Amino acid sequence: MSYPGATVAVVAPRPLISRRARQILTGYAYLIPAALCLGGTILFPILKAIHMSLYNHVLIRPQEYAFIGLGNYARVLHDEVFWLSLKNSAVWVFGSVSLQFVGGFAAALLLHQGFRGRAAVRTVTLIPWIIPGVVVALVWEWLYQPNYGVLNDLLLKAGLLRERVAWLSDPALAMPAVVAANVWRGVPFFAIMLLAGLQAIPDELYEAARVDGASVVGRFRHITLPLLRPIIVVATATRIIWTFNYADLIFVMTSGGPANATQITSTYTLLQAYSNLDFGYAATLSVVLLLIMLAFTIVYLRVTRGIESVS
Amino acid sequence: MDHGHRLSRRRLLQTLAASGVIAAADLAWWEEPFLAPRRAWGATPVRFQFSVPEPKRTALVESLAERFNKSQTEHEVKVEFVPQAQARQKLISSIAAGTPPDCCQVWDNWVGEFDGMGALEDLTGKVKDWKHYKDVLPLAWQTVTMKDRILSYPWVVTNDGLYWRTDRAKEYGVKPPRDDWNWDDFLAFTKAMTRPDKNQYGFGMRGQGTWAVLYATEFMYGNGAQVLKDGKVVINSKEAAEGLDWYLDLMRKHKVTPPSVPTDGWRQIVEGFGRGITNTYLHNSGSAEEQKGFVGADHFSTVPLPVGPAKKRASFYFSETLTMFKGGKNRDGAWKFCTWLMDDEPNAMYCKTLGLLPARKTLADRPEFAKDPALAGFVKSFPFSIVSPYLAYAGWGGKLDSEGVPLFQQAMVGKLSAKECLDRFAEVLTKNMK
Repeated sequence: MSYPGATVAVVAPRPLISRRARQILTGYAYLIPAALCLGGTILFPILKAIHMSLYNHVLIRPQEYAFIGLGNYARVLHDEVFWLSLKNSAVWVFGSVSLQFVGGFAAALLLHQGFRGRAAVRTVTLIPWIIPGVVVALVWEWLYQPNYGVLNDLLLKAGLLRERVAWLSDPALAMPAVVAANVWRGVPFFAIMLLAGLQAIPDELYEAARVDGASVVGRFRHITLPLLRPIIVVATATRIIWTFNYADLIFVMTSGGPANATQITSTYTLLQAYSNLDFGYAATLSVVLLLIMLAFTIVYLRVTRGIESVS
Repeated sequence: MDHGHRLSRRRLLQTLAASGVIAAADLAWWEEPFLAPRRAWGATPVRFQFSVPEPKRTALVESLAERFNKSQTEHEVKVEFVPQAQARQKLISSIAAGTPPDCCQVWDNWVGEFDGMGALEDLTGKVKDWKHYKDVLPLAWQTVTMKDRILSYPWVVTNDGLYWRTDRAKEYGVKPPRDDWNWDDFLAFTKAMTRPDKNQYGFGMRGQGTWAVLYATEFMYGNGAQVLKDGKVVINSKEAAEGLDWYLDLMRKHKVTPPSVPTDGWRQIVEGFGRGITNTYLHNSGSAEEQKGFVGADHFSTVPLPVGPAKKRASFYFSETLTMFKGGKNRDGAWKFCTWLMDDEPNAMYCKTLGLLPARKTLADRPEFAKDPALAGFVKSFPFSIVSPYLAYAGWGGKLDSEGVPLFQQAMVGKLSAKECLDRFAEVLTKNMK
């Protein structure tokens, strides 16, 4: 006997994979595009650089292309200019970042105060950070120009100099000069980061401290500084890594000269890659720099462990 | 709720599959893009790479390419402009990737590197049958000859001479330099032309870039030095060290140069003279036209380099070449375009507009070149001009800049003595004799 229009229940076949497994797989499937992007843009270049570093790969001598194992790494150990550039990098990074931090902190404290035209001043403060690095380098190169630059002109007119100084051509002055340009560029980064942190500190804490008779210095030491520490740790670590890899400014202003006085590891790597076209050695330098920065990051995070969770 | 426009899973899969098929079918077009520019009268394209040091050249080269395209119907030249600073690395990368342009304009010191990569063909036979072969200066052919094979066309030639301010010499009552002047005369002249109170210096020395090494070497040659002797590097000889010492003393001891020397490259020495900071500088004829615009044609002249204590002097010869690549897709078109550029009018127009010297004798003898006072110093330097000794090995090309220049800068700032600098420089050269 049949019932027209009636629905017949059919037993569904058992699925190949369970509902739980399907859910998990779906989750991973969503990650695939991001994983592919990261793998293609970060992991693959790193692996490729490691691979290249094991070969004698000079673009102008294709016939000499060969696997040389750790030959390039042995060359690094005996490369005087590399060690000099590493030393210069330390001066460049710590000189730049420490002064940027001090300047940025001072600017953030100032911008945190209420005064007329604060919004305009905050915008102006950002300008050095907005300008592209190459433009900053060209502007500062002109300022430092010994023969017709404004810096010498002003100092001579003020009677602070007796003769023109070649800021970028004197090995003793070239590094401080490029660091000063980099400090000018980096101060806004710290100013904005720290200002955001300052604005997140509740006013009640300062009021309570004031009621308890805490001085300005006391309030800064016991409230501002501890609560800003997480931002300070993250901002300085990021900035150190950026500055270590940042070549534009020096490349345009001095090309690493005079006499390698401003040669840092990133400009030296560029020189090997694009002047000598020695891709194997340039890749080796990149891998060594990656390891140095990795070691630095691990040590830095260990030293500052716990600080970022103070708040 | 309207479900009519919702994309079903089946439709999505169908769409993806269809787009995959279209993409796969389109792969065939990669070699020759579907949206390729329309070719006039079936002309095959010729890729010509030109490194651009200034906007004037861009306009000039575009106009030359257009004239060539109109002069025939078989080939259509497309100019690819590349900043000069990146031209070498871009060309080498494209050769390594198997996609070089059909032809390009480059300095002869790169030709050896291209040859080392096996990217150039031996043009000797073809060139010797070319109608203007004998009209090109033999020295110009030397600049593009390696291991007895002609590898390029010398489009224009250049050698080094000294630019000097005629108006300032007159103002300061300084005797103009003679064509046969010597090092003492040169020192006296640059001293007299140095006026620190006016922010003026007697000599714009170059401290940055490959030519910083070459200019210093020319002075070492004046003292009897050589780069190579019997197949060995001898640039660290006593004569070379003394010559370098004397040259660097212009900056270190006599202070007739601006303080910025160690970081002054081509742009800085040309602009330093143009802005009136320096009253002489050493360069090739390539900046003569620019200086006419900067300081005025009546305010400067050129003179050969001074004679050194060894009663010698040398001006290094270079050529701006037209180079064709083995891997080019239209070698016939490249050949026709390059030979057309070497013809009377295109060649003369290029050189005249830019103030350069043609490699062809009949053109160089024309009054606009032979009688131009801005070029006089270079024409008079021809008798003692030699092909740059640094063209001997392809492996020296990049090393002059990356390792030679920092060594010379260290000698400039007193971190190394001239002898120490040259000993280390000789090591670099010896290691790279490939």
